[in-house]
Amino acid sequence: MSERRLQETIAVLAILGAGIAGYLTVAHVTHTPVACVRSGGCETVQHSAYSELWGIPVAAIGLAGYLLIAVSSRRRTDPARVAGAAAALAGLVFAAYLVYVQVGVIHAVCQWCMASDVVVALLVVATFLRISRSAAPR
Amino acid sequence: MGRSAPRSYGSTMSRRRLALVAVAAGALAGGALAAALALSTGGSSKPASAPVGAARVAAMLEGIPQQGTELGSRRAPVTLVEFADPQCPYCGDWARVALPVIVRDYVRPGKVRIVFSGMHFVGPESETALRAALAAAAQNRFWNVLELLYENQGTENSGWVSDTLLRSIGDAVPGLGAKTVIDGQRSAAVERLLAASDALAQQAGVQSTPTFALGRTGSKLAFVNVPSLDASGIEPAIDAALKQ
Repeated sequence: MSERRLQETIAVLAILGAGIAGYLTVAHVTHTPVACVRSGGCETVQHSAYSELWGIPVAAIGLAGYLLIAVSSRRRTDPARVAGAAAALAGLVFAAYLVYVQVGVIHAVCQWCMASDVVVALLVVATFLRISRSAAPR
Repeated sequence: MGRSAPRSYGSTMSRRRLALVAVAAGALAGGALAAALALSTGGSSKPASAPVGAARVAAMLEGIPQQGTELGSRRAPVTLVEFADPQCPYCGDWARVALPVIVRDYVRPGKVRIVFSGMHFVGPESETALRAALAAAAQNRFWNVLELLYENQGTENSGWVSDTLLRSIGDAVPGLGAKTVIDGQRSAAVERLLAASDALAQQAGVQSTPTFALGRTGSKLAFVNVPSLDASGIEPAIDAALKQ
């Protein structure tokens, strides 16, 4: 896969992730119930003590990360490639901890969060693949 | 004619170096976020002393479904409604002595679902305590907070429903946190739940606590005379309802 195709893939995935994170952020801020297949799970997670970090919704942190990856996907520079991959990996590490919290602490699972986790995992693959396919630094 | 895109890939060394930088930065940032969240929810903010009965209540309720103020499976054949005040000492006795047995023998096996209808007539601290428990209902942790309030119950209107106690209870309940219990007391959801329980108690004509209504789930419930505040006071009525 060419770098251009990877850039497009990363952009699409980042926008998809931003959509999920944006929806969860708006739902959290406006106290709107989240559409969830298994009743209660998303609400439990969204209202838990783990839904905010220093008063900032965790979903908003995810939204910022996705936007950073989306912006970095448009630039063909090494700092942009590294920033995109680092942001995606940071998202995956944080997401892994949040999965542990959902399963092991809160005992409730939010499908929207899980969908975001899948997106961020795909982004890690795509952004690191992009680095491996990138042109030599000049 | 425009400049063509570079065709040659970077050297293995430079690409590997870029990937290593990304791995280091990403792992560090992700780990820092996870550590910050872990600390902000249960680390340095944790009170020095946990509330009385935290482990016992957690074990009693572990794995039992909660929906708002309901405890147990919605498919349970029998429903028990408990009208109680968090400050009422008899309600506290029932919660500490009878409830663990009822939960173990009837709720956990899926035979009975308990619905709590809160009352707050003993004094202002009743409403504060009830609001704190209702604030946890959105996270389906109502019963954890309620039972910890009963475990730590003090003399009526003596100041025992303090912010310190509520914070320690909030922090002791997994996934809840002091912030929810303290800040959530005046939320629209709590106001709705409080109004609903007030209306139910008034409609049922409940005059004292604890009062129990029991019956097959989905059918009309009947008040139960409870001769003692241990499990044996209500078990015959539950068994009779299960046999219907």
